[in-house]
Amino acid sequence: MKILIYSLFTVVLFSCSNVNTQSAFTGEVQKSNTAAVGTLSSESIYQLTDTFQTQDNKNVTLASFKGKPTVVAMIFTHCTYACPRLTADIKNIESKLKDENGKVNYVLVSFDADRDLPDTLKKYATSMGLDENWTLLHGDENVVRTLSVLLNVQFAKDAEGNFSHSNIISVLDKKGVLVFQKEGLGADAAETLNTIRQLF
Amino acid sequence: MQLIMFYNRCSAEFCGAFSDEKTTQDFLNIKPKTMSNISKETLVLKRMIFAAILFSSLSIFFLSCKTNSANATSDNKIDTVLTGTVTAELTEAPNVPKPLTYTSPKRVMVHLETIEKVMPISDSSEYTFWTFGGHVPGNFIRVRQGDLVDFTLTNSPDSKNSHSIDLHAVIGPGGGADATATAPGQSTHFQFRALHSGLYVYHCATGPVPLHIANGMYGLILVEPQGGLPKVDREYYLMQGDFYTTGKYDAKGLQAFDEDKALAENPDYVLFNGRVRSTTGPNALTAKVGETVRLYVGNGGPNLVSSFHPIGQIFTKVYMEGGHEINTDVQTTLIPAGGASIVEMKMQVPETINLVDHSIFRAFNKGAIAQIKVTGDENPSLYQKIKK
Amino acid sequence: MKYFLTIFFVTVFFWASDAQKKAVVLSKEMVTVPAGNYQPFFISETNKPVQVKAFRMDEHAVTNLEFLEFVKANPQWQRSKVNRLFADTNYLRQWKSDLSIGESNKKIYNSPVVNVSWFAAQAYCQWKKKKLPTIAQWEFAAKGAPKNLKSPSLTEYILSWNAKPNPPFLPNVKSTYQNAYGLYDMYGLIWEWTSDFNSFIGSQDSRGNNEVDFKNFCAGGAINVADKTDYAGFLRFSFRSSLKGNYCIRNLGFRCAIDL
Repeated sequence: MKILIYSLFTVVLFSCSNVNTQSAFTGEVQKSNTAAVGTLSSESIYQLTDTFQTQDNKNVTLASFKGKPTVVAMIFTHCTYACPRLTADIKNIESKLKDENGKVNYVLVSFDADRDLPDTLKKYATSMGLDENWTLLHGDENVVRTLSVLLNVQFAKDAEGNFSHSNIISVLDKKGVLVFQKEGLGADAAETLNTIRQLF
Repeated sequence: MQLIMFYNRCSAEFCGAFSDEKTTQDFLNIKPKTMSNISKETLVLKRMIFAAILFSSLSIFFLSCKTNSANATSDNKIDTVLTGTVTAELTEAPNVPKPLTYTSPKRVMVHLETIEKVMPISDSSEYTFWTFGGHVPGNFIRVRQGDLVDFTLTNSPDSKNSHSIDLHAVIGPGGGADATATAPGQSTHFQFRALHSGLYVYHCATGPVPLHIANGMYGLILVEPQGGLPKVDREYYLMQGDFYTTGKYDAKGLQAFDEDKALAENPDYVLFNGRVRSTTGPNALTAKVGETVRLYVGNGGPNLVSSFHPIGQIFTKVYMEGGHEINTDVQTTLIPAGGASIVEMKMQVPETINLVDHSIFRAFNKGAIAQIKVTGDENPSLYQKIKK
Repeated sequence: MKYFLTIFFVTVFFWASDAQKKAVVLSKEMVTVPAGNYQPFFISETNKPVQVKAFRMDEHAVTNLEFLEFVKANPQWQRSKVNRLFADTNYLRQWKSDLSIGESNKKIYNSPVVNVSWFAAQAYCQWKKKKLPTIAQWEFAAKGAPKNLKSPSLTEYILSWNAKPNPPFLPNVKSTYQNAYGLYDMYGLIWEWTSDFNSFIGSQDSRGNNEVDFKNFCAGGAINVADKTDYAGFLRFSFRSSLKGNYCIRNLGFRCAIDL
């Protein structure tokens, strides 16, 4: 009997504690998608016909990536903080797509036309542990700027020859149409992975 | 609490029963042969006491935390399940969209267009206003707490400049500004959940923000609480703003923005709804004796705070700063720049109520007056002029 | 008599058909902007003025007539043929057709061409063996003191242009003011494309933005605005940061430059 009374008493005591029922919704502002899919062109970026050089000193055009979904980002090798992190983010995406190994292109394009020549890009690829699915591209200043405009990437060269730039992971479909973008470092890869899987 | 009261009333006999070492099981499975020393009456009484304790504990548990909804913060649990899509009714000042009738969260479609337009600011002066919807203030948006607002901003292709929007009702980067930098002829799109009820300002947030606001890019969004607002007879929309022109007040012709005056916070015009005499004389608001009138009043600034006062009336209710705290019987209420207030009045006698910013030079010399014309029967017991 | 009339009408016919081409294509002069220091609108951590080397710049914006030559020689840039990746649906909408500005549009033959995308502007400049100016070059050149301005100050002039709606027909190039470098209409006619318009690092929201969102931007440091009372500058940079490369806008055109 005592136990019943005491337990009822305890129940009553706790009944008026902080009624802080947290709304399940986090109330975040969502853009319609990170890069306004509504205004993404339905045209292929591979219509940019300029030539790039790969880390293996081959001349390629973007059209060579046709046939597989492509994950692309823009970096420069002298970048100490953000670019290694962005590369790691893409490597993380690659590791989650292990089952589809070889079915996705990973492309890094350098802002740094002066310094990131093919040899330098090769060293970077080795040091970052990037496998044969990865292509690192060097292009002329003009070509790189044009590609950045097509990929909605902001960047500026400073007086020391380094670059401030936004960090965006872009996903192109097999034809080279930009279908998805995710901005930020260490960003949640779930949506990116989902998009890629739908492109196979 | 009944439990404690009961202990107080508890007599030795019954307290004795409670302090027994008997287990609960024993107590509930009272078998006559173990209760041979206790009379049947005691047994029934004990059961009643037990039931009473159980009932009161449970009722305290379930009912004790019901709070007065009028004074609650809006941390009330919001249902996240949307029950349909509606298009928001948008109105032009001084009109307000009708009170909402739905009682569960909806996806609400809102579409605003930014338009740059030359319009009269006074009898003789014109000004190039930058607007939401082609008028100052922008359209009144009315949604319900819990709604998911699906917001599209279009910038007229005739605009000279880019525009964006920051709604103070939004919890998210820039209040939406981060997602809505819109070039002329383009549209942008974002969604937000109206988490908190209240009356909120929205305004353009493209750099330089003070210039965009000074040119008239502001309006109000009302997020109704889940239970709605108490019903009134009429609702109106006013928004105060200060304007800075190269010429003096009412100078002839098209006036340009004067940055020096704006930096010095020295306006030529302080106006309700973007124009001298916008809401006076033939344009005055109307009401009848006996009605309760509610005003949704915003202050777009960009600089001045308003001392909002109804000449010939008293605010029976002021939802302070557009939130939930209600002050009553207030003569003059402060509306911060970038803020809002909801005020109510009971029309008692026929009169013209002059609504002013009581920093009185603004009302007298810079245009800060709006009016409500109240019609109906005189009531000498409340007010009468006595002739000598 | 008949013979004479035939010759007369034939001459008139050819003259008329040539009229559009011959309709005063203003000669394209370029001026040299000497080297100098440019205080960027945004202060970076190092807060050093940017050195701008001497360069050549078109004295006025590219006109509709000039752009017509370009699309005649480059059919992939004609209105009905252009790729949507490189120009949106407003591309050259002010023209009558692919290869005709339109008789009724005579007023704008020598007005700046607008409704052209960044890609189209780039392609034009490259066709002329030139390039788009950078923001630094354009802003530096635009700081040239006005030579024949009626307005009390350049700032007031710019702000009053910003406050006016777009006119139904754009005035001709060289119809506003000339500055100390010999450049016409740097302000007062149109916004102009720059090669690096997408170099704005920071959130679109320009307010509490003293701290760059480190998650999104690299090596940006702390960005601040040099002169917060430069409202005209704010308007320009805000406009640029809302642009995408394929946008065609009715008050946005361009002029070309050559690095020396």
